[in-house]
Formats: sequence, C-alpha cells, structure tokens
Amino acid sequence: MTAARKLIDVNFINPFLEATLKTLDTQASTKAHAGQVYLKQKSDKYSGDISGVIGLVSDAFTGSVVISFPAKTFLAVLSRMIGEECTEINDMTRDGAGELTNIIFGQAKIVLNKAGYGINTALPSVIAGHDHSVVPMTNGPRMVIPFETDVGPFVVEICLSNS
Amino acid sequence: MFDPATKILIVDDMLTMRKIVSKACRELGFTDLTEAADGAIAWSKISESPTPFGLIISDWNMPNCTGVELLKRIRGSQKYSKTPLILVTAEAEQKQIVEAVKAGVSGYVIKPFTAQTLGAQIESVHAKLKAG
Repeated sequence: MTAARKLIDVNFINPFLEATLKTLDTQASTKAHAGQVYLKQKSDKYSGDISGVIGLVSDAFTGSVVISFPAKTFLAVLSRMIGEECTEINDMTRDGAGELTNIIFGQAKIVLNKAGYGINTALPSVIAGHDHSVVPMTNGPRMVIPFETDVGPFVVEICLSNS
Repeated sequence: MFDPATKILIVDDMLTMRKIVSKACRELGFTDLTEAADGAIAWSKISESPTPFGLIISDWNMPNCTGVELLKRIRGSQKYSKTPLILVTAEAEQKQIVEAVKAGVSGYVIKPFTAQTLGAQIESVHAKLKAG
C-alpha cells in the first residue's frame, strides 16, 4: 500500500470512529452515534470549547487528530467518566480531555499498527477557550467525523500529509 | 477475591485516570485507596507506608518513573517483591507486554475498561497469588 493511498483510505478513518464509540461507551457510559464523515473545507467552522490534540507521526505521513467538544457535552461526558459532577473547564477537566484523547488515540493506534501503519507513540495537548478552532500545521485533507450523544455533539477531525 | 480492606496504591500522572481507577475500585468494594502521580512518588509511598500495600494499579507511560520501571524496582526489592502490580495502558504493543511479563507484572488492563474488567483482572491476580 502506498502512502498516498493510505491518506485517503477509509480503513484509516474507521479505527478512530470505532475507538471513539468504544471509549465513550466503556469509559463514560455514553452511547455516541457517528454521522456522515466529510471533508472539511477552509470555510467550515466548528465551535469547540475544549479540544484534545494528538500528533500522528509515522515514516510515511504526519498529521493530527483533534477531538473538539462544546463545554456542555464535554463536562457531561467527563462527569460520567470520573463519577463526579464537573461544572467548568479548569485544570482538572483539561486533564480529562487529554486522557480521553489519549485513550481514543491508543485504541485506534493498536488497530492501525496491526495493519502496518507504524504510528509512533505521542502525547496529547489540550486547547480550551470558547468557540476556538484548531488549525493543523500540515496541509493535507481534513476529514471530520461528527458524533451525536444524549448530552450533545462533538467532532473528531483527522488531518494527514505525506512526510 | 481480595479482601475489600486491601490497601491499594493507584499510580498515574493523569488525575482523570486516577479518578477513573479509584471510582472502579470503589465500585468493586475497595475503600483503602492511595494515589500517586508517578512511579517515583509511588515508590516513596510504598517505602514510607507503615502498613504494606496489598495491590498496586499503575499506568504504563509516565514521566520520571514509568510503570515498568516501578515494577522492576518493586520486584528488585527484598521487602516488596511479592506485591501484586497490575499495569494499565492505552497501547498494548506486543514488545511492551513481553517486557512487562519478563519484569514480573501480575496482570494488565487496556484502556478503556469497565470496573468489571478491572475486577476480573484483580480476581485473576488473586487466584495466581493463592496458587502460589
């Protein structure tokens, strides 16, 4: 498989979709439903209040995965994860966004590396701020997976470029 | 099953995961829970505790002292070498698991996990301990 084919392969997107569904269900008792995956245009804007970002690095490509939540959705999910009421974005809840990103990335990485993608271990970063957007430093296509839950929507965005 | 009064040390650099593991342990009936933010702090708590920990549940990837480094330190100590240690990881790579097994890990759990999954692993560790 060539690197170029890997970039557009739906098999690359699905592990992140499945990992997200499994993580929210198992760790936060939250059933999420994925919407139609779409290619993000420069004009598209998603209003996130807290985002976990993690680098995708292998010999063939670089990129990033961004998981963006409105505050209401994220605080409800985190409250279920830790069994405590979370009411505001603070250091503790930012830590939660990092851990959630880490778990989803780890699950997807297991599947992708079994398929030979060779993704390196990476540590998540967290960006918080009302209605922010995350702009990747790579110029490849940005695929967006929208999710809906009983506590609101969120998105997972994957951006890849050849190394 | 472990005695619910078992003293458990939960080690993770991420506060959220310490809270998740603590919540799962409480759901399983354990009440004597201590937390540490990395392997180095965990070692201090282990060596300074007046009563020994009966079980350690540790993250794998942490700054300062990783879960496997903590495991090796524990297995290398005369006083605490038999303390069961379960590793928690988000990335179960084969070579990582082999390294942990060689170092004497008692069991491991892959994130995400439920309290039931952790409980099954704790039960398995207890059965191995009883079998000697």
